[in-house]
Amino acid sequence: MFKALVGWFHKLGSPPYFDTFAARWSPWFYLASLPLFAFGLWQALAVVPADYQQGDSFRILYIHVPAAWMSLFVFGLMALYGAIALVWRIKVCEILAMACAPIGAAFTVITLLTGSIWGKPMWGTWWDWDPRLTTELILLFLYLGVIGLYGAIDDRRAAARAACLLAIVGVVLLPVIRYSVVWWNSLHQGQTIRIFGESSMDGSMVLPLWLMVVATKFWFAGSLLSRARADNLRREAGKAWLRERAEKSA
Amino acid sequence: MSYFTYVAMAYAVFVIVLAWDFIVPRLQVRKLLRDARNRAVRAKRAAAVPVEEELSR
Repeated sequence: MFKALVGWFHKLGSPPYFDTFAARWSPWFYLASLPLFAFGLWQALAVVPADYQQGDSFRILYIHVPAAWMSLFVFGLMALYGAIALVWRIKVCEILAMACAPIGAAFTVITLLTGSIWGKPMWGTWWDWDPRLTTELILLFLYLGVIGLYGAIDDRRAAARAACLLAIVGVVLLPVIRYSVVWWNSLHQGQTIRIFGESSMDGSMVLPLWLMVVATKFWFAGSLLSRARADNLRREAGKAWLRERAEKSA
Repeated sequence: MSYFTYVAMAYAVFVIVLAWDFIVPRLQVRKLLRDARNRAVRAKRAAAVPVEEELSR
């Protein structure tokens, strides 16, 4: 079993095999996310009662919180792939790390915009230089830095290595974002949802949130494979296997 | 107080960004495969030209 897993992992490092794998599995991950999104959104918008203080505006948290968690998770994963790519020089890990950046940036944009939209009626302002908001904005700049650095160097492998290093250094920011509401006086609310232990949110309101969290994970897997496939094809342009595959599909 | 506008705006942002995230890599893959196909066709055409027809001094 372990031997087979290692064998499969080695095979995944081959660009033609990775292309086949990504093309086959990416649509399935997208498809798996759709019923979860549909059910989660239906629950969030139509079933869950309005909050007694925030009214219907609290429904924004069903997209804001999963997106915020994804913005941190994707950065951590990008740094992990980056570290593997730097230590073992595995090309597919470079590709996966670089594919994480635009997806993580997208989730960070969702987090910042939906938070801002929620903040206007609740806090009376679109934006405040609050520790949580500011550190999340810095995270977006880090994502943009990784994307920019990867695009700025012609040699793809050198570019990926430089961008992976930036991702690894940027990991320092993740605990700062996570504990910003604890370390400093913050307008942003503290932790209300706990994976371990009791959440301070009512049980009837938690289920759609977890559905959305799982849905965004599946979406991310689909998007990651799709973007990694595109980068793999770009790097392999002109190679015989790609020409043969293109001829066959014509 | 109804917060419909704010909720609608937030969900619109969510849908638009995820739609962008879905569409962009698909367009990239389609373009890269089309380029590879065109490259293969050009290579085949170049290989099919008879040697005698080549210009010589």
